[in-house]
Formats: sequence, C-alpha cells, structure tokens
Amino acid sequence: MTAAIELTGLSKRFGHKVAVNNVTFSVEQGQCYGLIGPNGAGKTTTFSMMCGFLFPTAGSVRVLGVDPAAPGALKGKVGVLPQDAVLPMTWPVGALLTYLARLSDLKDPEGEARRVLDKVALPETWGVLAGALSHGMAKRVAMAQALMGSPPVIFLDEPTAGLDPKIAAAVRGLIRELKGQHTVVVSSHNLQELEELCDGTAILDKGTLVTAASMTEITGQSAEFRVQLARGSAPLEELKALPGVQHVAVEASGQVLLVRYVGAPEEVISAVVGRLITRGVLILGVTRGQRLEEKVLQLT
Amino acid sequence: MSDLNEISTIARGETARALKGGRVVVLAVLFLLFTALALSIVGYFNYQMNAQVKLSGGDPDAMAQGGEQNLSGKKQFLSFVFTNDPQLLDALAALPLVLLVVFKLAMRFLPLFVALMGFDQISGEVGPKSIRYLVVRVKRSSIVAGKFVAQGLVLAGLLLLSTLAMVGVAKWLNADFGWSFAATTALKLVGASLALAVAYLGLSTLCSAVTRQASVSLAANIILLFVIWFLAFLGEAFRLPGQQAAMGTLEQLKSESGFAYLRFASVWHYGEDLLHPHLPRFFGAALVHVGWACIFLGLANLMLRRRDL
Repeated sequence: MTAAIELTGLSKRFGHKVAVNNVTFSVEQGQCYGLIGPNGAGKTTTFSMMCGFLFPTAGSVRVLGVDPAAPGALKGKVGVLPQDAVLPMTWPVGALLTYLARLSDLKDPEGEARRVLDKVALPETWGVLAGALSHGMAKRVAMAQALMGSPPVIFLDEPTAGLDPKIAAAVRGLIRELKGQHTVVVSSHNLQELEELCDGTAILDKGTLVTAASMTEITGQSAEFRVQLARGSAPLEELKALPGVQHVAVEASGQVLLVRYVGAPEEVISAVVGRLITRGVLILGVTRGQRLEEKVLQLT
Repeated sequence: MSDLNEISTIARGETARALKGGRVVVLAVLFLLFTALALSIVGYFNYQMNAQVKLSGGDPDAMAQGGEQNLSGKKQFLSFVFTNDPQLLDALAALPLVLLVVFKLAMRFLPLFVALMGFDQISGEVGPKSIRYLVVRVKRSSIVAGKFVAQGLVLAGLLLLSTLAMVGVAKWLNADFGWSFAATTALKLVGASLALAVAYLGLSTLCSAVTRQASVSLAANIILLFVIWFLAFLGEAFRLPGQQAAMGTLEQLKSESGFAYLRFASVWHYGEDLLHPHLPRFFGAALVHVGWACIFLGLANLMLRRRDL
C-alpha cells in the first residue's frame, strides 16, 4: 500500500505557543484514520495543515504526493469538513452546493449538489438559506459539500459533534460507506466512534505525537483479551500452559482475568474459556483488547 | 479549470449573492439619497441663480452681460472647487453647475462608499472560516480577483444608476443641456467614476485580505483613506501658489518643497485629471488609478497567499 498522506516532522507555532511539535505519521490509501487527543492536543491544527488552511512552521505535509498549501494542488482531489467553518449564511443551500461544485470543476454541478444532499438525507433544504439551518442540518450540509465529486481523500473534523444520536449514527454509516474507496481522516473526541470506524489512529497530546499505529495495535486486540469472571477462581498455572498464552493475571478488581497471547485469537480465546468452564468457573463475558478510551486515558 | 474560469465563477457567484443581499439595496438607497440631497441643495441655488439672471432680462445687452458675468462667476467658482487648469476649466464650465457640484461631492465620498461596500469581501469569510470551503477548491489568488471583480460589477451598476440620475436631473433643470451632450457627459462621468473607484476598490480588497475581522478591515480601510487624503493635502499645501496643474513643468517641480512631492504618492492626487478633456491626461490618470488598483490587489494576493486561514 502507498501512503496517501505523509506528515514529516510537522510543527506549528502561533507566536510563542507551540501547537504542534515534530509530528510524523502517514496514512495509507483507502484507510480510515483517526486523529485523537484531548482539547489543545493539536488535532485541529494538524488537520488544518493537512488541508492546506495553515502553513507549517517546520516539517512537511504531503497529500497524494503534493503540498496541500500549493495553489490549486488538490483541486477536486480532497473533500474537507472543517470543524468550525460557518456556511455562508446568505446562500440558499442548493445554490451554495452548486456554486461549490462549479468551483470544484465538476461536470454536472447541480446534479452533484442534489446527489450529495440526498446522501445526507436533506433534499428538502435545497431552497433554504444556509443561515436558517439548525446546527445538525448545517453540519450535514457541510458534510455534503465534502463528499461532492467523490474525492479520493476526505478530511472530516468532528463530523458528529453536536448531532443527535440518530443523525450521528447516520453520519457514521456514511463514513463506513466511504471506507476502502476513499482515504478518510477523522478528527474526533468520540473515541468509541473512532474505534468503531478507523483502521489506524494517531494520538496527540500537548502538540506531540504520543503514538501512531493501527487500531488493533493500539487497542491490543490481537494481543490480549479479558474474561469477566462471575464465580470461581481461575487456574492461572493451567491457563499459562495453554498454547499461545504468554501471560495470565487477575486484575485489581479480582473479577477480571487478563490474558496476553500470540497466534490466532479464536483458538486461544476458545481454549482459555473452555478450560475455565471445565474447572467450574462461571464467566460473564470476553472482551478483546482494551477499549480505545482506556488506552487514550493511559497515554495522555 | 483555468484561473480565468475560477475568477469568473467566483465573480458570478459573488455578484449574484451581493445582488440578492440587503446591503447592496441599502448602499444604493444611501448613495441615491446622498445624490438626491446634494441635487436638491445645489439645484435650489442653481434655480436662484437662473432666476436672478432672468430678472436682469429684457435688455439684450444686460442679458449678454449677465450671461458673461454668470460664466465668469461659474469659472471662478470652478477654479476654487476644482482646478486652475484652463483646459479643464473650460470643459467643466460647459457642464451644468448642478451636475458638476453633485458629481464632485459624490466622488469625494466615493472612497468611503467603496469601503462600506467591500470592507468584508474577504475578512467576512476569514473570520467565520467559510473561506475554507473555497480554498480547497480554488487558488487564493482567484478568490482575491473574483471577489474584486464581483464588487466592481456591483459598484459599476450603482455608479451607472447614480450618474444617470445626476445627468437626468441636470438635464431637467437646464433646458440648454442638450440630449447628445448629456449622453456623452454621462458616459464620461461614468468612466471617470469607475476609474476612480477601481483604485479604492483595490484598497478595500487589500484591507479585507490582511485582517481577520470585518470591523477591523473597515477601520483599516478608513485609516488608509485618511492617509491617502492627508498625503494629497500635504503635497498640495506645500506646492508653489498658482501651480495647480496635476503635472507642472520640470522647473516648477524642481522649485517645489520636498513635501510637495508627497502628492505623487497619493492616488487622490490623480483624481482630478479623470475629468480632463485632453485624452492623454484622462488616460494617464485612469492608468494611474488602475496601477494603484493592481498594486493593492497584488499586495492583497501576496498577503492572502501567505497567511493562515
């Protein structure tokens, strides 16, 4: 696989404040990639440099092999949902999307505008002024403009922030549809959402990169699982002797068994659970890896 | 999509938006009201003057003498308000006084009017970050040029409307102001006002491109207008008396105080020649205005290309 996006030693200062410091990671083509971090971590600044809105103080960004800040370099190749960009209030939605499609040099601007508005389930807003839209509707219209022309790279900054659960689920569904066909970068505080959607992620904290890896690596899905115990005590030595098992421990709560392993997860999990049941231990559930949220809280 | 296509798409979109927006209507009403007020005041005095001339009627000699006195008074007045350039004075004296005074007043306020119209053309999109929807699609230089063209088109419409209104009223008040002369006068005045406006529109674009907040760009625009007027005034104040022509002879220029040269740094200094009957003078002044517009636009483009959005 080739990298669609490459950040090398990327830094950004605002006066004396270092917003992003020496960040390096890459996003493969077709990946859905998450940008994670607490407030002030530098997510939106990094995101804005990837879109060409901000100029790096040091380092470089390459999107599809070109500098995104170069004039006209990514015309029609990138779709962006900026986090806090207000839609021009005096434009009717249909006219605005048609205008933006025209600027993107799309063949059938009005047809494309209608297509993406249908995609975000807002065809009824065609003649409505952008300034009259609710927050959720405006967010979806902004999402629609990012999808116009099916660009190979799509950047989504907080795509579900402020949306009600039903609409947020619909937006997540849309992002899921994009996976594989487009390279999608999602910046979000919603870790559950990112864990569900993303193939890889970069975790930022105070402007520096904490880690950048695939989601399975970060959450340890291919390396550990937890068994929630209901009754009985686990035979730790017997479990350690099972093929693939490297480490077994009971976590502080006393009711959760942590197993680290190598090899096919289905075989190791089945073997461990089978042994527990044969020894009369009752179990409530099995969870692979660590929740992304827990991992991020550990790291930041 | 070529740069020209980008610029034309932005210009069309922004012009349509501006025409549908309330501000153009408000500005049109403001400018027309200003014109109407000036027309009423000047028209009233003009009417009084004509009535006085009629009162001296009956005796053809007195009529002729009154007419000559009237023309001489008009030229004196014009030399006080406009210029000492004899060619320009003759050309202006042929026009109805009401038209001249109102047009001159309108042109005095035009830079402010332009600032009010275009102060937020770019900063109004940078502040709320809506410009980000554009910069992923088009070059920043196309945004500057497209917005400038859109503002120019709207302004051209407003200037055409107000100039036609001025000429129409002048024609109505002055029976001897013939139709063909009125038409060519209207054409000249529209050309002069457009040439004048283009430089200030460029300034407005520059102020809008370097600031993040629309209110700050308006303040910056007005401050720069004051600088332009101040430089022109200072330059004029230090000129030798009796040398009011826009370009004096080399000897005259050499004999002037160093401060007098400041006038050449002010675009306002060249505005007078936009009404000059001598075509090279008119085109020279128009070119200077276009040149200043290019400088302002170039700076606006440079600033927008280098700044974070």
